[in-house]
Amino acid sequence: MKPGLRYSFLVLLMIETLTVSLFGQSSYEVKQLTTVSGSSNDIVAAVAKNGIVFCSNRKTSPLVTRKNLQDQRLYDFYFAPFNSKKEVGNPEMYANELKGKFNLGPGCFSPDGKEFYFTRNYNSGRSRKVKGETDKYGIFIAKKSGADWVNVTPFEYNDLRYRLAYPYISGDGKYLFFSSDMDGTLGKSDIFMCENIGGKWSTPVNLGPVVNSTSSEVYPFFSSSGRLYFSSDRKGGKGGLDIYYSIKQPDGWSAPILMDEPINSKADDFAFYTLSSDQSGYFSSDRSRKGDDDIYSFKHTIVRWTACDTLKKDSFCYEFVEETALLSDSLAMEYKWQWDFGDSTRTDGITATHCFAEPGSYYIQLNFVNLITGKVELNQASYLLDVERVVQPYITAPDVAIIGEDIKMDASLTNLPGWDIDTYYWNFDDDTYLTGAAVSKKFKRAGKYNVQLIISSIPDDKGNVRDACVCKDIIIKERKK
Amino acid sequence: MRSIIHIAAFVSLGLLTFSGLCNGQSVPGNDENIPYLMTFGKDGHETSWGDDDFSETFFFTIPKEYKEPFYIRVYDPEVGGNTDELNGYWDTKMQYTILGGKGCYTNPDAKGTDPIGNYKSGTVLASRIFAVDARYDEKWFTFGPFNPADGEYYQKWSCYIFKIVCDGLTGNDGNLYRYFLSKKADDNVPIQGANAFTHEYTFRMWNNNDTSYVSHIYPYIDSGCIYVKQKNFDWDNDGNFIVVSVVRKGQSQPISGENVWEEGRIQVLPDEIGKSLDFRFYKRKDALVKNNNVVVSVQNQYGENLPFFTVPIGGVPVYKPRIKVTKK
Repeated sequence: MKPGLRYSFLVLLMIETLTVSLFGQSSYEVKQLTTVSGSSNDIVAAVAKNGIVFCSNRKTSPLVTRKNLQDQRLYDFYFAPFNSKKEVGNPEMYANELKGKFNLGPGCFSPDGKEFYFTRNYNSGRSRKVKGETDKYGIFIAKKSGADWVNVTPFEYNDLRYRLAYPYISGDGKYLFFSSDMDGTLGKSDIFMCENIGGKWSTPVNLGPVVNSTSSEVYPFFSSSGRLYFSSDRKGGKGGLDIYYSIKQPDGWSAPILMDEPINSKADDFAFYTLSSDQSGYFSSDRSRKGDDDIYSFKHTIVRWTACDTLKKDSFCYEFVEETALLSDSLAMEYKWQWDFGDSTRTDGITATHCFAEPGSYYIQLNFVNLITGKVELNQASYLLDVERVVQPYITAPDVAIIGEDIKMDASLTNLPGWDIDTYYWNFDDDTYLTGAAVSKKFKRAGKYNVQLIISSIPDDKGNVRDACVCKDIIIKERKK
Repeated sequence: MRSIIHIAAFVSLGLLTFSGLCNGQSVPGNDENIPYLMTFGKDGHETSWGDDDFSETFFFTIPKEYKEPFYIRVYDPEVGGNTDELNGYWDTKMQYTILGGKGCYTNPDAKGTDPIGNYKSGTVLASRIFAVDARYDEKWFTFGPFNPADGEYYQKWSCYIFKIVCDGLTGNDGNLYRYFLSKKADDNVPIQGANAFTHEYTFRMWNNNDTSYVSHIYPYIDSGCIYVKQKNFDWDNDGNFIVVSVVRKGQSQPISGENVWEEGRIQVLPDEIGKSLDFRFYKRKDALVKNNNVVVSVQNQYGENLPFFTVPIGGVPVYKPRIKVTKK
């Protein structure tokens, strides 16, 4: 990078907020948390209801400096509460009872909040170097007792020969992810996963070469969206550690996707932690001019609903039952039930199923055919049936498409009676969006994309805007060679 | 007081349902579409012509509120001429007996289907024997006047009941005839709320093979019925017999052949209680069965004979289809 450009880049960082919008398609808003980021290394660890827990090696006393064997300041936990505006406030020590002669590293809470999994040195830290002593670490578990964390026990798969770190338990409590250099590791450290089986963690499984590389994979975070975020210094990144995500699929994990700027930078970007189905969260980076690790918050400026209805297929099929006949349907009748569906089709039977070709108002008539005389008793019962499309925004798009193929999507079959539609907003689940009733989209990578169509009305007399969202999965496949 | 009002309302509703809306005492009834009643002379005891017992009993109900004299008129009471069925030569005598008073209806023998025991129970109010007699061929003969209070008062239906028995005393010809319960002696003027019924219906089918000529009789299904058994005699396999109700569109029933009985069981559905069934008889269309006379009766699960009212209680049952639509 030319010095001039590098300078410009840093100037942008100095104003703390950076938005990248490439042709109006990709957009994250990133903001450094100045209240917690100082001259120390600060790494987000977990998010509680009322604040964030982070690790920091900040100096807390002018007289005492706690260091590890490599003469580095030891990390401890801190808690920074949210203020009334949900902004992160000034930090204070957290879990002081866990503090000792150790590095206290990244950790996570169990879903029920009763346990705290965290990273810690196996051996007690020394304030002085001792030659030849290793500095390995593992995962430890503390239990909540009142306001304190007590009864610290080692994770059952800790091994003094290996490093285990960065534990994260999925929101449903089924999976525990961590990073380790244990047996089977492809690179310097890989992501491993344990499954909760009957309350016990299964033997760790390496996530394999699709996720892991010959470099380091650290800081796993499994989002409720099904994305496994992690950091890696593998080739092909933007520099140093970069943040990737891989999607959990029925047959394994998708190939990792490198997140765009400004999430990633030429510096180390790591410890990605999301909220609200990936719409916001925190990560750490040493991108600032000072070169130490700071915590950043991010917000996805592309609108994506967390509770978006799955597109319901318009069905114009109905079952018709002549209920009185069911009372005596085991008896031999000298009549035939004949349904006239009002669209020039007829079907015989006490029950009948019929699919109409299109919406409309249909006058259903039930005739009886006397099998003795052959006489038809017309219209003995009737039903006025209004066949309507489902009230919803409607996505017309293929279920499957090819990478790079121009996919036409349109919302013309939307059925929102009484709405004056203002905006059609398409979120393609690849950090891009478009607007318009009909759009054209090319996907760059194979995978399953949950496309959302969000429709907003123009404000009514009172200024109220209505909006609705539907989503549809589209499978993008590699082009056959 | 409140409960008394309730009871009064219940009773009046019962009256309305049972008799109040009935208007017309033609036997066979207007809705029945039956050409004639049929009784044969009993000589030779030949049942293959379509009469199992050479006797037919009908009851008339007069609402207790009706206080005026009334008449029972018989159409074509004699046996001969154009309307009756000749076997050899006209030698048949037919006796009509009108009875009232105690036991006229409530005597157990009166509720049977056969002319046995004290089936002519009650007090004889009138009786006359007819033979071949051109004066009455296709003419009305009038019995009466009768005082309604001379019938047997039947509390359950709040009416007076009279009985008319037609017996084929001698000969073997077939008597085709009709009745009318009338306010007047010389005209057929119905008594509002009156009705007529029998426990065994012997009648003539239409003389054609046109299925649009459908005859009906209407057994009344009283509370407590679980199933009923219909019995029919000498149908000559002439067409189809189906059962219709408000919840039964047209259940097929077995019909008899020549000079034999056939029967079929009909499970009573809850919605049929307190209403009439519609027994429908369709003539055979692929071949003409001429002068077909048939006998029908119906019993409940206890073997009690159920009445066929010529004006069906609750009205002519009409099947009520209900459409339910469910989106798939």
